[in-house]
Amino acid sequence: MITLGDRIALFADGLQAAQGDLVQCTSWDDVWEHAVGLSDETPVVSPIAYEQLQRGELPDDSEPLRSIADRSVGITVATLAVAETGSVLLIEPTPRDRAVSLLTRHLIVAVSEADIVEELADGFRWLAQQPRAAAYATFVTGPSRTADIERSLTIGVQGPCRMTVAVLA
Amino acid sequence: MSASTAPFKTRYRRSLSDPDLKPRLLDFQRSWRESRDAQVRRLEQRTEQSFDELRRDFAAVKDSVLERLDEYIAEFRSNAEAAGATVVELSTAQEAVDYIAGVCKSRGIDLVVKSKSMVSEEIELNHELEQRGITAIETDLGEWLLQLAEERPSHLVMPAIHQKRQYVAEILGEELGREFDPDDIPAMVASARDGLRRHYLSAGAGLTGANALVAETGSIMVVTNEGNMRLATSLPDVHFVTAGIEKLIPTWADAERQLQLLPRSATAQTLSTYTTCITGAQPGKEMHIILLDNGRRAMRDSDVIGDALRCIRCGACANVCPPYQIVGGHTFGHIYTGAIGLVNTTFHHSIEEAAGPQGLCVSCGACQTVCPVDIPLPKQILEVRHRAHESGHAPLWERVALRLWARPRLFHNLMGIAAAGSGLARLVGLVHRDHLRLPLPGRLRWRSVPALPLRSGQTLIKSRPPVNPLSESPSAGRTVDLFAQCLADRLLPSAVDSAARLIEAGGAAVNLPQSQHCCGLPAFDAGDWATARRMARQTIETLEGSEHQIVTPAPSCVISMQEHWPRLFSDDPEWLERAAAVSERVHDLADWLDGPGRLPDACLSNGGSNSWSAHRFCQASNRNDAGARIDQLVERLTGETAKPLEEPDVCCGFGGLTSLAAPEVGAGILERKLACVAESGCDKLITNNPGCVIHLRAGANAGGASHQTLHYADFLAARLPKNL
Repeated sequence: MITLGDRIALFADGLQAAQGDLVQCTSWDDVWEHAVGLSDETPVVSPIAYEQLQRGELPDDSEPLRSIADRSVGITVATLAVAETGSVLLIEPTPRDRAVSLLTRHLIVAVSEADIVEELADGFRWLAQQPRAAAYATFVTGPSRTADIERSLTIGVQGPCRMTVAVLA
Repeated sequence: MSASTAPFKTRYRRSLSDPDLKPRLLDFQRSWRESRDAQVRRLEQRTEQSFDELRRDFAAVKDSVLERLDEYIAEFRSNAEAAGATVVELSTAQEAVDYIAGVCKSRGIDLVVKSKSMVSEEIELNHELEQRGITAIETDLGEWLLQLAEERPSHLVMPAIHQKRQYVAEILGEELGREFDPDDIPAMVASARDGLRRHYLSAGAGLTGANALVAETGSIMVVTNEGNMRLATSLPDVHFVTAGIEKLIPTWADAERQLQLLPRSATAQTLSTYTTCITGAQPGKEMHIILLDNGRRAMRDSDVIGDALRCIRCGACANVCPPYQIVGGHTFGHIYTGAIGLVNTTFHHSIEEAAGPQGLCVSCGACQTVCPVDIPLPKQILEVRHRAHESGHAPLWERVALRLWARPRLFHNLMGIAAAGSGLARLVGLVHRDHLRLPLPGRLRWRSVPALPLRSGQTLIKSRPPVNPLSESPSAGRTVDLFAQCLADRLLPSAVDSAARLIEAGGAAVNLPQSQHCCGLPAFDAGDWATARRMARQTIETLEGSEHQIVTPAPSCVISMQEHWPRLFSDDPEWLERAAAVSERVHDLADWLDGPGRLPDACLSNGGSNSWSAHRFCQASNRNDAGARIDQLVERLTGETAKPLEEPDVCCGFGGLTSLAAPEVGAGILERKLACVAESGCDKLITNNPGCVIHLRAGANAGGASHQTLHYADFLAARLPKNL
């Protein structure tokens, strides 16, 4: 088992290779401040992020996706992160849980550093033990991308154009 | 009729008429190769397992599922249904289309948004739904562009790789009613966000494929980069999943193993941006999982082809395929493209659809080397070719040529006439640097026609005294049977003679078995196994007369005897045994010179500094045959270092009958090879298979290249001390 420092460093490498950024935060306030600093708009937050932050705008109950579409900054929380690949695991059973990670322009994903596992296999082991989590679970590795036009890599297609993972000490 | 649904010959001509396709695909193949190899190296380091071990492990998982498919389907079904999904097993494309249309009709759905699904392409779902008044909109950018252009994917994971940015600007402009700057790709990409959004919001159903179906929980796993799959499964109330039954895997641990291999092999990513796992219907929504057979069980039960069901649709086989680089996926394949498309089309569509591109495959074997589930694609393509031949899909000229070739005496007489003709041409000045000056039609002008030397290789050997031994190799005092190879004996006689000299230099005597002709490879390659059997039997009868070891300067014949003969005689125990008794004695010359007839290090050093590079016969190299590494052998024997040649194992474009059946493909691949040779700056290009020598030489002659092309036996034998 590698050390926490190594796991964070490895995770940062993987994330960077997938065009994502990393910020280290010491508290949920820190995460919020970082998000607020990115845009004049109030950040939108997923229900799971709201539980921690107790602020920000939640997706609408009846039309969660429409209400969030193309908002500048959104915050959600990952269940775990995978050092090997630079991925975060989002457990999002309902469209309302998913709205922020689907449709905001700049997505911030908070994850506790203790929840960074070493390998993708660890992530899947966790998932296999949590049948409910697998209702709708996504390993997200960087912002959305395409190379469908002349193989030219373009970041930000239909999902977020930027992704920052806030690693919480 | 669109570019991708026209008859094969039309598609072939169309793909050649796009001057940008070849360079674009070449650039793609090279950059993929580099990044994929780097990914695989990192994976090997991290797991401390070789790519071969990793892929065999996962292939074993897939095989175990295929063996007990019904059990895994039952497990998947019960878990998925417990989670609220509806699981239907359907046999045909028609049933799948009817089911989807039926659900849509009963729910009043007239718009379906789709994430990328090859099965939906396989069953031509969009077109079929359209006929029933239901609109399907592709939301993967590449697939959407294809839909706007009314085309099919030309690659499994980069579906619109054939489209030029100018063309993309045009079709997007038409769809969205505004102008696009072809050089502003980000703006074109961004238009998808706006262009597709309204469809997501109004669609009644979303349809996705599945990269894996996890039996232990009844879940689907889908890998994407754009995020469209998550949108298509979040907005509409109905989720259709179309998946082949071969996508089943037992557990999440197996899903993780698949992910070690899939993104690295597909897009050379460690992991794709989104790996989404969905179990059951979401609250208040419906999920319909369509498990499609459409020829898959028949495929599983077919001896040679069954392993093709391991395929995880990464597209790697196309990314290393030399003919794919020349013609692209609209020609090299049907709906499934690349090597796998040459195989599975037979089962999902028809032998007619599969037959067209068969002749384009050069049998180089590169596809299997990168396949993340180790599918024996080269072997399977030969099987499909055989079936295509059996069902009457072989061109007339090919059938006639092979029948002539199969008759040794007639072949020798024809070759004698050609040699005499070449002699006459020489006399009247129609031969330039060993090639005839013939007025060839345009599509053949890239290659000169070799003038046949008057004397065959066997005649050259018989008309000279033996070479004095250089050393006492382990073969000293023994007699070796030389199998000259029909092609080399007449077109490259010096190589046959040089092979004999090198064997003699090791101290063995060379015997030439009487009436030797052809191992049957050209006929086998063309799918004409009846003719191949005749030729193989004749060769076996010729060679079984002695107990000597057999050596040949043609590694293609070794492969033919060791790999193809067992297939030719699989139903004939007597001939199977006789074939094995002969093929066990056969050695490629390079193996011989490193093994039983080993010549000492630096024994052929001539003190000069020669400038040479080595092209390795692709088929042997891709099988990882030690003898294919002729650069190492020549370095050892001469003490000289080869000039580095890029892509030394990539085919030269000869490919047996391919360069005759599809000359533009042979020419295109040759062009790629000759560019590497020019880049190397060598004076001499040496290679190990006679067919490659003849092809590379004829191409260099026609193109006016300055280097000399020769068989390594000629290169080495020229350094033997002259007999007194």
